[in-house]
Amino acid sequence: MKMIKLWRTFKEGAANYRRNGWLTFATVSVLTMSLFMMSLAALIGFAGHLGLRSLEEKISISVSFKPEAGEARILGIKSQLENYKEIASVRYISRDQALDDFLRDGNPVFTDAVKEIGENPLFASLVIKATDPQYYDMIAAQIQQSDYRNDISEVNYERNKKRIEGLTSLTERTRNIGFIFGAVFTLVAIMITFNTIRLTIYSHRQEFEVMRLVGASNLYIKAPFFFEGVFYGLSAAFVSLILLTVAAYALSNNIGGPFAEITGGRTFFNVYVSFLWALVPSMLIVSVLLGIVSSSIAIRRYLRV
Amino acid sequence: MDIARTPQPQESTLPDETAAVLPDPNENGSVPIVAFDRVTKVFPGGFSALEETSIRIYPGEFVSLVGASGAGKSTMLKLIYAEEEPTSGTVYFNGRDVSKIDRKHLPYYRRNIGTVFQDFKLLPQKTAFENVAYALEVYGKPTEDILQEVPEILDIVGLAGKADKLPRQLSGGEQQRVAIARALILQPKVIIADEPSGNLDPDSAEDIIDLLMEINKLGTTVILATHNKSFVDKIGKRVVVLDNGSIVGDEHEGKYVLPAKQRTSKHL
Repeated sequence: MKMIKLWRTFKEGAANYRRNGWLTFATVSVLTMSLFMMSLAALIGFAGHLGLRSLEEKISISVSFKPEAGEARILGIKSQLENYKEIASVRYISRDQALDDFLRDGNPVFTDAVKEIGENPLFASLVIKATDPQYYDMIAAQIQQSDYRNDISEVNYERNKKRIEGLTSLTERTRNIGFIFGAVFTLVAIMITFNTIRLTIYSHRQEFEVMRLVGASNLYIKAPFFFEGVFYGLSAAFVSLILLTVAAYALSNNIGGPFAEITGGRTFFNVYVSFLWALVPSMLIVSVLLGIVSSSIAIRRYLRV
Repeated sequence: MDIARTPQPQESTLPDETAAVLPDPNENGSVPIVAFDRVTKVFPGGFSALEETSIRIYPGEFVSLVGASGAGKSTMLKLIYAEEEPTSGTVYFNGRDVSKIDRKHLPYYRRNIGTVFQDFKLLPQKTAFENVAYALEVYGKPTEDILQEVPEILDIVGLAGKADKLPRQLSGGEQQRVAIARALILQPKVIIADEPSGNLDPDSAEDIIDLLMEINKLGTTVILATHNKSFVDKIGKRVVVLDNGSIVGDEHEGKYVLPAKQRTSKHL
């Protein structure tokens, strides 16, 4: 089909879209709901993933040693640990450094407390980072069974682990619920759009014969209904993008605090904005596909030419 | 090649004029624009609309098909623009077997034929201008050409000031003029008019017939189905009389004469 004919059927589809009035409104609303659900689920999934990753980056195993273990002994263990390929880095924190870190905040209560004790109450420690979060269990277990286990005062690992597991299950649950709702709404959206286009076809039913008589090809008769479906999809993409922006802003105000804490200062809205490059094209593609699928079904079933 | 495969020509032993090989030029050397070769059309349920009908229509002719309702006039026209397929026999358009046209290519074929109907068949949501323009749009005509040609043709059919009116804002006669303008715009070889004046008041009806005669004078073949006696007499061109699916009269410069058989059958 020539460009000019494509353009003409495009305009014809736009005219159908405009003439349908309330029907257009209802169709776009339902399509918007499904797109909004799906994109919100995707956004929460993405933000949860980001949060998890920065949490994982923060995990480390902190092994503190009893004061009896000397610095040489600890450094020996450090170089021994550094040989494992599962371990990315091992940092040594001496007792003095630990004290400096502790007092850096300048909290007078702490300073007074340390003075009261008269000596450095903190232990030297090794902070171990794994190359992959999945190795931490193994590393922790290894350390607790090692020949230097008697030098160790405490292996601090469990606390972060619980937070990670909590966030993982929350993210997965939200994402799954979002996708289930999104899928249900998508089915409804396809049916509603299909029905709208069926009604448009119905209101034009006497015209197809006339169109054919004056020499319109079947494709020329069908194409406007394809475009009509695409228009519904595109409008829905536009509206749901606005809704999503509002939702992201509202969420950012509500859960912004804990989220920023996890991700190191990134607000939820900030994450949404950085997600747009992937979100906008995929929304456009999905919405156009929804429109095309619905109109194809309607054309195939109801447009006999 | 197509023609050789059709059942009959030389093998026929009947000294029948319809057995001549197509294309069958007339004394001027023109190939028939429309030819029926022993065409039978039986509708589902056994109703026979046409029986073994043969006819030749040459370019530039004005043919009036007359006959009572159900005599087969509309069926003949539908066979020409391929809305119906013959049960047996062959319909030729410009020497080409119409039934051999791929269904997909029918729209392109129909651009050779302008159609005008009793019920106008306009697109109700389009203005007079847009209705005429549509026939050019589907053809992929550039917009500049459409903007130039449509007003010209509306002027020719006498609708210069009504281009922006929707069909429901026009009188019956005016709507039929829009339909004729649309039929003319692609400069078809043949105009088929099925009772074009059937829904019109006598004055408008006469105007439409005059318009068709004008179009014919400019060289377009016109095939008119009607049962209005006075129009046929006025046109004074070829008259083909159909009765019960058969041609019972074919007069050049004919008058509308009901066949004897039909007259009697009516009283039985």
